Amino acid sequence: MLYSARNIKKIYNGRTVLDVPELSIRERKIHALMGPNGSGKTTLLHILSFVSAPTTGTLFYNDRPVQFVENLLQPLRKEVVLLDQHPILFSTTVYKNVEFGLKMRHVPANRRQRIVEQSLDLVGMRGFAKADAPNLSGGETQRVAIARALACSPRVMLFDEPTASVDVESRIAIENIIVDIQKEKDISVIVCTHNPLQALKLADETLFLFEGRPSASIFENVFSGDVIDVKGSRYCRLHDKVLIPVQTQENGRIKISINPKSIRVADSDETNGTAMSSRGRIFQITEEKNWIRMLVDIGIPLSVLMKRTEFDQRGIGIGREVFVTCFDYGVEVLGR
Amino acid sequence: MDFFVDSFLSALILIKALDPDLFNVVMVSLKVSTSSTLIAAVTGIPLGFIVAITRFRAKRVVITLLNTLLALPTVVIGLFVYVFISRRGIFGVFDLLYTQRAIIVGQVILIIPIVAIFTISAISRIDKRYRVTAMTLGADRFHTALVILREARFGIIAAVVAAFGRVISEVGISMMLGGNAKGFTRTMTTAMALEYDKGEFVLAVALGMILMSISLIMNILLNYFQGRTTV
Repeated sequence: MLYSARNIKKIYNGRTVLDVPELSIRERKIHALMGPNGSGKTTLLHILSFVSAPTTGTLFYNDRPVQFVENLLQPLRKEVVLLDQHPILFSTTVYKNVEFGLKMRHVPANRRQRIVEQSLDLVGMRGFAKADAPNLSGGETQRVAIARALACSPRVMLFDEPTASVDVESRIAIENIIVDIQKEKDISVIVCTHNPLQALKLADETLFLFEGRPSASIFENVFSGDVIDVKGSRYCRLHDKVLIPVQTQENGRIKISINPKSIRVADSDETNGTAMSSRGRIFQITEEKNWIRMLVDIGIPLSVLMKRTEFDQRGIGIGREVFVTCFDYGVEVLGR
Repeated sequence: MDFFVDSFLSALILIKALDPDLFNVVMVSLKVSTSSTLIAAVTGIPLGFIVAITRFRAKRVVITLLNTLLALPTVVIGLFVYVFISRRGIFGVFDLLYTQRAIIVGQVILIIPIVAIFTISAISRIDKRYRVTAMTLGADRFHTALVILREARFGIIAAVVAAFGRVISEVGISMMLGGNAKGFTRTMTTAMALEYDKGEFVLAVALGMILMSISLIMNILLNYFQGRTTV
């Protein structure tokens, strides 16, 4: 096993931001680490890259426990490279940036040049070798950062939201680069993302984190609202007009997750029993294998998954006004 | 007004003719100030770096102390060092008083806080991601420190330039510890003070013009490097 973990916790100022009782990551695969913002993805990546130590618990790398002592971490850091969400390049040329890791590994100068050129070639940035690194765009910076990491010939590459701050063109290019380098170099890759589409496209296996803890699946449509009673039924009020039926004994403010597959989209108001329809407008449509994901603005952005066959039959398009209905069986109460 | 114009023109002639007395005073000033700036840089930059990147309990106290030392009057330093290096002082045996080395000692004490505080400020402004990036690319502590210093280089150079500007224009330490001995410890500022006392303004004005030119160059450099830090 490449990584395994036992009771890893990270506590900042008395607050537990990561609590992973068990974790297993296999070698030579692309793993996606998914979860909403603040779920502890970056904290876990920092531990896996040996940049930050867990407050308690044991991390195993290659089945050996990792001792978070500076001198002992040095050789491990040479095998694992972390790419930040917003990577920063040293204020020198692109070439010298990519060369940095090689110098740290005492690679001879003639070999360094060849490796730097190959790495820049892989990310399509060879023409920028002499360019001033701080003057590059977000997408170019991300690609040079990948080349810089790649040049170190790591066993593991950890990407923290690699496409969070780039345009669509760069996003596709970076996703393709990640898949290509994993195949070509036969390395292990862990990609942190909150985009299910990206995880689906890239990963062999997916790990989910929610509020610092591993979760069986990714919670979607996570909202906070107040529990209210209407005609004997319980609802979570998310917005002035949006009422989501819930089965809970809790009162006051709660956090819920609505399964996007359980949401019904109709052309007319289907309020019936406890189910309350909300009027909205479709503002984004994307494809996920046999499903179509629609984002509907009902005062809050609601993600809905519809079977492709149904979507094709109904001829739904962007901008269309629809009624969405949520049912209590598709709503999970996550806590307060 | 004529008096001032005459002094100004005579001073220009002195400068143009590279008057030996004037030249000697300028060289002593530059030698002493450059030496003290180099020593302060060698000690103040590492001090500032360590204070900036390490976490320790008394960190705020150290920074407050260094900030307080920025306002230390040159005459206080002069007096303080005098007590130690005068014949009756504990370093009296080294016979430092009224030498260029005595001025250098005093000036180093004056500008170490300047170099350290500017360095702390320059390092603190550097993005934290540089450290993590260097570490994750396999850099050890020493190379990680070099990366941080490199990224803060313009701010640190500005610190050294500011320190040089401070010592080249100070008068208290040079007068009290150097003794204003002609050809040995007479600096531009002490020479100007003496010429003023004598009522001889030509040399004083010439020195003033050179000092102002040096200050102007230092400020241009300072602005340049401070500008680079904010790019």
